[in-house]
Parts: sequence; structure tokens; C-alpha cells
Amino acid sequence: MKKIVLLCAAGMSTSLLVEKMRDAAENIGYECEINAYAISEIDTVKDGADIILLGPQVRFSLKKIAAQCPEIPVEAINPTDYGMMNGTNILEHVKTVIG
Amino acid sequence: MEGLEEVCFNIITNVGSARSDYIEAIQLAKEEKFEEAMEMVASGKKNFSEGHKAHGELIAKDANGELEAAGLLLMHAEDQLMSAEGFGILAEEFIALYQKLYERK
Repeated sequence: MKKIVLLCAAGMSTSLLVEKMRDAAENIGYECEINAYAISEIDTVKDGADIILLGPQVRFSLKKIAAQCPEIPVEAINPTDYGMMNGTNILEHVKTVIG
Repeated sequence: MEGLEEVCFNIITNVGSARSDYIEAIQLAKEEKFEEAMEMVASGKKNFSEGHKAHGELIAKDANGELEAAGLLLMHAEDQLMSAEGFGILAEEFIALYQKLYERK
């Protein structure tokens, strides 16, 4: 079961995106756990994460988060996909990174 | 106009990108990459402008009484917008400061 972690400033806008991604995952039968958190919570939520995705508002922290989570791919979410809340595109991209 | 949720997301994405552009501009200035820093500031201004435009349409709707009850997501979008604006102001000051430090080396 893949664990996908989304981070943004308060965990609010990303939690809406999480719903769309969960729908997309169900549609394609991709087994995963997707959750959104405030970036301040990273230390408590990074364990066991297969990938960490950052919303545009916190993209500037990418290097810092990547340094804190050396074994885990850390990426910024494509802003167009984020703006359109395109859970399908983002999930498809996650699959190309973590399988 | 699209639903309020879509507009909020549009605002958040644009001003959120601006927010990151501005902070990354400061990070570049810290590395003495001043030209790239100014390019990031320009990108930030462009992204902010997009978000501000979308937000401006909401104000007009609100004046006409067309806006549904403002929810938490709209408040969050507003927050992100003001935070991005503040970061933009400070980014220019910080870059000038790093420039000064560089010139005194």
C-alpha cells in the first residue's frame, strides 16, 4: 500500500485535492493512502511515506523538506494540475515516480 | 463564473506560486544570484497578478450580492493572497540587503 503525503501551508486546499486523488485512485484500482497535512507537521508524518508532494504555496521549502527526508522523493505539484484540482493527472504522475 | 470552490483554488494556486517565487528569489539572492532573483520576483508579480484578477471578480460579485456565504476556503485564499503580497514587499527589501552585503565583501 503506497503512502502519499501532500503538504501545503495549512493542509486545507490540499485536503480538497486529496479527495479528488482518492476518487482517481479508486477509479483505476490503485491501492494507496493519501493524506494532506500542514508543512509544519512534516516530522510526524514523513515516516513510511513513499512520496511527498508540495503545494505551490510551500514549494520554496522543497530543498529543506528533501534534506529532512533523504530516502523519499519530494516534488512540487504541477501548478496547472493543482489549480484545476486534477487529481487524476497528479495520481498518474505519482505512479510514474513510485510505481 | 465557475463555482466558488474553483475560483478559490485558482486564487490559491496563483498567489501560492507567487509566494514561493518570492521566497525562492530571496534564496537566490542569498546565493548571490541576483539576476535570477529578479527574474523570480518578476514571475512572482505575474502569478500574483493572475490571482489578484480572479479575486477582483469576486469583489464585483460580492457587491452585487451574488456571492454565497463566504466559507473557510475563501478566507484561506484571502490569507494566501495577503501573505503573498507581504512576501513580495519583503523579497525586494531582502534582495537589496543581500546585494549590499555582496558589495561590501
